[in-house]
Amino acid sequence: MSDTDPERTDGGTEVGSEVVAGGHEDDHDHGHDFPGTGSIKRWFVTTNHKDVGILYIVTSLFFLVLGGVLAWLMRIQLWAPRAPGETILAPVAYNQAVSAHGLLMVFWFLSPFAFGFANYIVPLQLGAKDLAFPRLNALSYWLYLFSGILFGVSFFQGGTFSGGWTMYAPLNVPTFTPDVGASTAVLALVLFVASVTVSSVNFLTTMHRMRAEGLTLRNMPLFSWTILLTVWMMLFAFAALLAALMVLSADRLLGTTYFAMESPAGALLWTHLFWFFGHPEVYIVFFPALGVMAEVFQTFTGRRIVGRKWFIIAMVLVAIQSFVVWMHHMFLTSINLQVKTLFMITTIGISLPFDLMVFALIYTMLKGKIRFTTPFLFVFGALLLFIIGGITGVFLGAVVLDYEFRGTYWVVAHFHYVMVGGVTALVGGLYYWFPKITGRMYDEFLGKVHFAAYFVGFNLLYFPLFVAWETPRRVFDYAPELAPWHQLATIGGFVLGLSFLIMFYNLFKSAFTGDPVSDNPWEYATTAEWAVSSPPPLENFEGTPTYRDGHLSFILDRESDVTGGATAADGSGGATAGGGVATSPHTAVTTEYEPTVEATEVEGPSHASIWPFVLSLGAFLILLGISPLQDAAFPEGMMGAAYATTAVAGFGVTLGSLIAMGLEPFHGPVFDEGEAWPFSGIDNGKVGMWIFLASDVVLFGGFLGAYIFTRFAFGWTGWQPVPDDPIPGLVNTYILLTSSFTVVLALVAAEKKHKLGLVTSLGATFVLGIGFLVNKALEWQHLFHEGLWLSTNVRTSTFFLTTGLHAAHVIAGLIIALYLTARAWRGAYLEDNRSVEYFGLYWHFVDIVWLFLFPLFYIL
Amino acid sequence: MGTTLVGSSPLFLQSGLVPRGSRIIVFESIFEVFLLLGTLVGVVVIGYMLYNAYKYRSGATKGDEEVGDRPVLGELPTGSGGGRKLATSFFMSMIIVVSLISWTYLTLLYVEEGPSADNSLDIEAEGYQFGWRFTYPNGHTTDGVLRIPAEQPVRLQVTSADVFHNFGIPELRVKTDAIPGQETETWFVANETGTYTAQCYELCGAGHSYMSAEVIVMPPDEYEEWYESTGNGSSESVSTENQTAFVEARPA
Ligand code: HEM
Ligand SMILES: [Cu+2]
Ligand SMILES: [Cu+2]
Repeated sequence: MSDTDPERTDGGTEVGSEVVAGGHEDDHDHGHDFPGTGSIKRWFVTTNHKDVGILYIVTSLFFLVLGGVLAWLMRIQLWAPRAPGETILAPVAYNQAVSAHGLLMVFWFLSPFAFGFANYIVPLQLGAKDLAFPRLNALSYWLYLFSGILFGVSFFQGGTFSGGWTMYAPLNVPTFTPDVGASTAVLALVLFVASVTVSSVNFLTTMHRMRAEGLTLRNMPLFSWTILLTVWMMLFAFAALLAALMVLSADRLLGTTYFAMESPAGALLWTHLFWFFGHPEVYIVFFPALGVMAEVFQTFTGRRIVGRKWFIIAMVLVAIQSFVVWMHHMFLTSINLQVKTLFMITTIGISLPFDLMVFALIYTMLKGKIRFTTPFLFVFGALLLFIIGGITGVFLGAVVLDYEFRGTYWVVAHFHYVMVGGVTALVGGLYYWFPKITGRMYDEFLGKVHFAAYFVGFNLLYFPLFVAWETPRRVFDYAPELAPWHQLATIGGFVLGLSFLIMFYNLFKSAFTGDPVSDNPWEYATTAEWAVSSPPPLENFEGTPTYRDGHLSFILDRESDVTGGATAADGSGGATAGGGVATSPHTAVTTEYEPTVEATEVEGPSHASIWPFVLSLGAFLILLGISPLQDAAFPEGMMGAAYATTAVAGFGVTLGSLIAMGLEPFHGPVFDEGEAWPFSGIDNGKVGMWIFLASDVVLFGGFLGAYIFTRFAFGWTGWQPVPDDPIPGLVNTYILLTSSFTVVLALVAAEKKHKLGLVTSLGATFVLGIGFLVNKALEWQHLFHEGLWLSTNVRTSTFFLTTGLHAAHVIAGLIIALYLTARAWRGAYLEDNRSVEYFGLYWHFVDIVWLFLFPLFYIL
Repeated sequence: MGTTLVGSSPLFLQSGLVPRGSRIIVFESIFEVFLLLGTLVGVVVIGYMLYNAYKYRSGATKGDEEVGDRPVLGELPTGSGGGRKLATSFFMSMIIVVSLISWTYLTLLYVEEGPSADNSLDIEAEGYQFGWRFTYPNGHTTDGVLRIPAEQPVRLQVTSADVFHNFGIPELRVKTDAIPGQETETWFVANETGTYTAQCYELCGAGHSYMSAEVIVMPPDEYEEWYESTGNGSSESVSTENQTAFVEARPA
């Protein structure tokens, strides 16, 4: 819940802040406290979306290498079938390699790689100066980095998780995977999901609220469209994953028994929770690649996409339908024929829009003027791979075939064609935007060599796996006659991996010594990122971008730097690099001048804060500290004490940095509202809060779903509520309802600028919340004395964990309430009461959740 | 082949269009059609893609004559025409996919219906880390080996004693999840006598790679003889070579 806290200050205005103005990247050191790109400090404090984008890209490539090395280890093991005792990696080590490879590639490489581009490019395409909440953006990055480090640590705690990236129950509980590292890996995922949630809220607010005038959703560039849809899917899918992971963490650390072998339907519960997330995840990783394909196709064919409207409709349909196909991963479980039929139909339904998208891309080439530059080659190759992945996917949609393919290398080959096909497009994106990001051109020849090696390696690696499909998945002892195919694959794996060395060399060298490029090195590029300098200035645009005349123009007020505006308008410069790259003579960009409306700009936006870094470090320490818990107890001895100390220290760091972040004067980007459907006229902070709460609804939905599912499996009526006495719960219902009322009073008082009223009502809310917690503590103590606790049975597990999650929400709310009360006491919120309003939204939500929990856990 | 499977199949299953018989036949015939059509579609689509990429390459002037209007920087995105072509190809692909899947759905109905109870043999299979136990109707249990008669449909009730496993005999095209606390059902029929291998298809721990069982398909009369010799509650256990070796190689 802590992530809602800084939001309010990002969007809100605090008193007495310092102006941290930005100019060009290169004239940074004029007495401002934002260090230049050459300084290490810059990268720790930056909140600028372009810096964060670069950090994402570089970090994700690091995880690609890590995941790739694990893949190589597996491919070496698979060179020949391995009888017991003849393995190179021990069996458990192999299982760890498979699991860690899958998790790293999907979570720590693929999505963040795409989000590096999203961070860098989307605000430029939208005409925004930054994301809505720049500090939260930095926070997303640091949480991501620290989650990856935490995952790395798990290897050294007796071994990381070894139950596959799908983490099926009950193999995922300590009875079967007892290593501490396995718990740490799960906690690393929790931290990763926190990062994703913060990022989703930020992107959704930005993309809905901060588009330039005239840039309606309908007019948005396709890359931005894919990111928008990806983020919506992420918001809900990752909330479901968070529910699953929190329950799993509780099973591992606190001893709850949701997924234990003895629990009714624990194994099935996991498959539902996981795949409800897992299928949308497939599109979450693929959509950004699709967006890159669409942009790069249009640029290098010199053609606008065919059927743009249908392309967008198809994507929207896929995004929605992605939430109703999850059971096609469970055709071999005990689900019945009716359900199978239903999910077979939804599955075909979701495959069809992709046909349309593929055809649209292909037809875009017709009548084109195609230039085979490196980005185009990669994207073209990606489409080809995606077609093969798609066709082989239809095989899996036929349930009778799926029965036989399930758990074999057919699946492995298919999803690598799709997912690594997506990676191929993103690599194309890296080459495409490289000149924009660095201001220099890569070496075209080396780029083409990279593509050739990559493409040959790819097909040599994955195509033989279709032939050898009879090999069971996650197995290294297979039928000897399949060995030649696996050997081809292993060779291909090395070619593919080594091809990246060419890219790293090329990009690294070119970043420093490549030919400088103008604003737009690609003929026929249309999107706004190409209308600004390479790299773009700190605040992206000289003047305000607008599309009100049907094309991009920049409105400058008279005082502004006129030369800056001119750069945007013309594009002279001639050919800059090999591969026929020329500066586009085609441009519709104009510059206009308008008299300054507001001569008194209040404050410039801020660009630096160290607290996102510190906060993430704190969260890292907490999770590392609690990782060895079992049945809610630390291990004995020095080791346990060291872990406990780490957790406590982490808690201190987290709380401290939250408060520091709240008090830090920080201003989000200033912007005139352009297109903001469907949230026009609503403050960014409020939109952010609504979006966050929407994901929280899914989180609680996951917990309640798990409860109801388990209870049905157990027998609904045979299941008595855990508290024998509903009175404490009833009392708590009244307490919470009253506190909702006092929050309303607080806002009324703030609006009337009535300080005493504000402080009293906030104080009353706080006291009521404490009352709720005390009452609950007494109730729990009573139950504990009756011998009922988290680990007693699955009935008590669901009760304590679900109401405990709610109590944690109450505690987070109380911390915020305390903070607000203290500040109100010193006179805050009378001028600007938005923080009180946002807190109110959160608090009402927490109360409403209780209205669901009370009957479900106390009465029924 | 599979003639023992009569059952009460609906009429359309009898028409010959829908493959029936053993699961091997069902799988092979569908897979073949999919492979054929899949390759065909793949070759056509990819060929078309490559052809056009070549045809409209920059410098081949073709494009410029026809389209004067190229995208310019800063324009609001719009689409090109060509909607009719797009719609046509989309509907064609839709027809192919939907009819293919509907066709296989009919075989799914056939597979799901399974053999009738009175002419099939019911066996319970239970997975554990890391092997398979089988229980016959007379209570006889075996570990690591499944003996069945040729030509007779076998119905399996599969579950697990510990973690999630998956029971499959690849050569006989049968597979189903083995889930703790749940029972799944599947069936198969072996027409050829011989020895096959059953394998685990869900990651289940250190011994997953070696979690197999022997499936011995016997001539019906030999099977009867063997079955007569097993009494209530008796048991036998055969571990495959690998499995034993693995268990021994495992650090204690
Ligand atoms: C770059 C993007 C890649 C992604 C997103 C990716 C994703 C995955 C996933 C999700 C799994 C399943 C893990 C599991 O079963 O729990 C997997 C398995 C595997 N991957 Fe990758 N992978 C990538 C690249 C590679 C490369 C480059 C290689 C080979 C050099 C490779 C080789 C393998 C192997 C051998 C397996 C094990 C398959 C099995 O036994 O089930 N992967 N990958
Ligand atoms: Cu799926
Ligand atoms: Cu297994």
